[in-house]
Amino acid sequence: MSIIEVRNVTKSFLIGDNKVVVLEDVSFSVGNDEFVCLVGPSGCGKSTLLRIIAGLEKADSGGTLFHGQPITKPTPKIAMVFQLFGLLPWKTALENVELPLEVLGVEKEKRRHVAEEYLNMVGLEGFKNTYPHDLSGGMKQRVGIARALALKPEVLLMDEPFSSLDELTAKNLRNLVLDIWRDPTLPTNTFIMVSHNVEEAVYMADRVIVMTPRPGKVIGEVKIDIPRPRTKYIRDQRYFGLVDEVVALLEKGKV
Amino acid sequence: MAVVMQSKWSLQRYIISLVVGLATLCIMAWLIMTFVNYPEVKDLSLHTFSTLSRILITLLISVIWGVSFGILAATNKWASFILTPFIDILQSIPILGYFPMVISFLFLLGPWGVEISVIILLFTSMAWSIFFGVVGAIRGIPTNLAESARSFGLTGWRYIRHVTLPAITPALISGANLAWCDGWFFMIAAEYIQYKGEIVTPPSGGLGFLLAKTAYEYKDMNVAIILLLFITFIVTYFNTLTWHRIMEKSNSGTFKPTFKMDLSGVGKLGIRAASWRHYWRFQWPKAFSATSQRLRKYTCIEKLIAAVLVFTMVFFTLYKVLGQIPTLTEILRGFSEPPGGELRFLPLFITLTIGRLTIAYGISLAMAIGMGVLAAEHRRFATVFYLLYDIGQGVPILALFPVIFLGITQLVGEPRIALEFTCIIMLVLDMIWYMFLNIVSAIRSIPSEIQEVSRLFGFKGLNRITHIVIPSILPSIVTGSILSWGTGWNTIIFAEYLPSTSLSVPGLGSLLDKAGYEYGNTVVLIFLLIIIAAIVLSMEAFVWRRLLRKFERYHIEV
Repeated sequence: MSIIEVRNVTKSFLIGDNKVVVLEDVSFSVGNDEFVCLVGPSGCGKSTLLRIIAGLEKADSGGTLFHGQPITKPTPKIAMVFQLFGLLPWKTALENVELPLEVLGVEKEKRRHVAEEYLNMVGLEGFKNTYPHDLSGGMKQRVGIARALALKPEVLLMDEPFSSLDELTAKNLRNLVLDIWRDPTLPTNTFIMVSHNVEEAVYMADRVIVMTPRPGKVIGEVKIDIPRPRTKYIRDQRYFGLVDEVVALLEKGKV
Repeated sequence: MAVVMQSKWSLQRYIISLVVGLATLCIMAWLIMTFVNYPEVKDLSLHTFSTLSRILITLLISVIWGVSFGILAATNKWASFILTPFIDILQSIPILGYFPMVISFLFLLGPWGVEISVIILLFTSMAWSIFFGVVGAIRGIPTNLAESARSFGLTGWRYIRHVTLPAITPALISGANLAWCDGWFFMIAAEYIQYKGEIVTPPSGGLGFLLAKTAYEYKDMNVAIILLLFITFIVTYFNTLTWHRIMEKSNSGTFKPTFKMDLSGVGKLGIRAASWRHYWRFQWPKAFSATSQRLRKYTCIEKLIAAVLVFTMVFFTLYKVLGQIPTLTEILRGFSEPPGGELRFLPLFITLTIGRLTIAYGISLAMAIGMGVLAAEHRRFATVFYLLYDIGQGVPILALFPVIFLGITQLVGEPRIALEFTCIIMLVLDMIWYMFLNIVSAIRSIPSEIQEVSRLFGFKGLNRITHIVIPSILPSIVTGSILSWGTGWNTIIFAEYLPSTSLSVPGLGSLLDKAGYEYGNTVVLIFLLIIIAAIVLSMEAFVWRRLLRKFERYHIEV
């Protein structure tokens, strides 16, 4: 059963007086419990697509459905993690996580409790009252993840969440995200991630959707059937085969 | 290809609007010259020409000075060590406070002396934004760029030509634009000077002279307003047309990221679209960021020492030049001569003046935040406010003084109360734009991710304003406040005192005017300047710098 459905989405921007088509007739669907990665070269509109799913942008034509209902504005059921974290610099880690709950009208005691719980889950016990200014990049992204999850969304969107982190930190966070995805006690089971790192996509996703450069179209998808946890398979021939398959699609999209 | 066509077309458009504007100007001038019967107004074209050339000459001098000294101060450690605090303090003294000192020295040289003194006065009001803009821009050159240039062997003049000059161009142009506006602002004060009971005006006249003459001597409000409209047209017209065009062009090669904007609906050309593009894409004058940089650099004690040093230097230089180092008896005599007697009321005067400034500041702050938030939330308001800003910045506010005063006197009747109101209105008109400019630029530069976060998590209305908008503009409110207070101190010297009628409201500014213009009492004048500078600097040290430091963590890293 599909939770998110993207149907014939086309989107263009005006740059100066020129109309630039960034997405052209993009369609795919994402099922319950699925981890899907969107991969493509920079500027192929994958971040725009993610924003359309989040309800932040409107498609020119076509649309996106959530449980069969069209998405017209942001909903707490679909949360998002940003590339540059999107934390409010004037709020502490705890307040940053609390704030969306406050907007939803959760009472003070409860939201503090929930925020603390999620900060603990991402491993930030001792940093509740620290301001983003004093947190490292990896810690900031942990706050970003905790903030998104605290809303108990069904779908988590991630816009290149690891691309501004160093490799070691990124590796830890990838595993954290996978643990969260597989945790049966959490309501968030459907993950859509944008990435331009093919190996990352193959390591994490059930399915990799490959897009072409401008205008962005879906050129194909690769099903990743490596058993999880995949840590022990990353030296495997099968893993490299799938990486090559994705790269081949990317190359094909170039011409 | 399309791009080339477009630029050709926009050049054509520019030339057409330039011609149309000049024609309008000529017709306006002709109408005024034909239908207004004062003898001075008959020479309107001459006055326009002399004011225009005066401002352009001063602009040229300011640019040359600002660039050379700015580069020196930003690249040479010793030059920076000596120059920056010196200029910093010169700048914190109200510019109009220099007037009598400069005047008394140069008036001895006859008509040319008067012309030169007017240019020097204009220079003191125009040069700072260029200098600080240049310094800020050079300090803002990314290290990687500077290093890569050095690694390819660019040194000395070639480094300046290929790295420094392109890097400072946008700041230079926006600084020059501010200077152009400042020049018009102070023109009326510089072209109509009261000194020891006499009115001194430059021999070649000028629009400021003309306006002051009709307002103060003929007391003809209608003609004054017509002349004011004429001046405003010149300033605003060139602002929206030429400056914005130059600024847009220069903006292409800068290092700052251009902020994300919604491009739909900006397709139209013309002045409105040009100003719209200007405000959303243009990086705001670097002078503003330079202010915060400057403030962080010195400790209170360093500033205090520098202040004392500079004042001693200024004091001695002036007296050296005039050939009279004051003895204690001379200083005492200065204090005993009028208006020295009024110094008894000094605490009261300080309270009154600071009170006026505080009221005006409160009004400006509230209005600027309101306007800024509205402009950020609703595009429609933004367009209106930017247009207002353009015009408001273009009107020489000092020139409004007699006009507002005449208007309010007719309303209130009692001239003293009218002057009190006029003073506060003048201050608000002067202070509000810096606040507004800073607040809007801050709102505009909220990173798109923060904007998206606020939408994604459903921040709306009051929630959005208290959690997103207000915190993100707090640092800019501080910077805007510093600039507002600075310009407020500057204006109050003129706003408490109505030239040619000797009507005044009690306060530091009017006392300074009396000391400088009516009695030519340099001792009292310098004493008052020291007091004002002390107030300005201690406010910087004890209020603004603390707040700036507190809000440092609000800075959004991108």
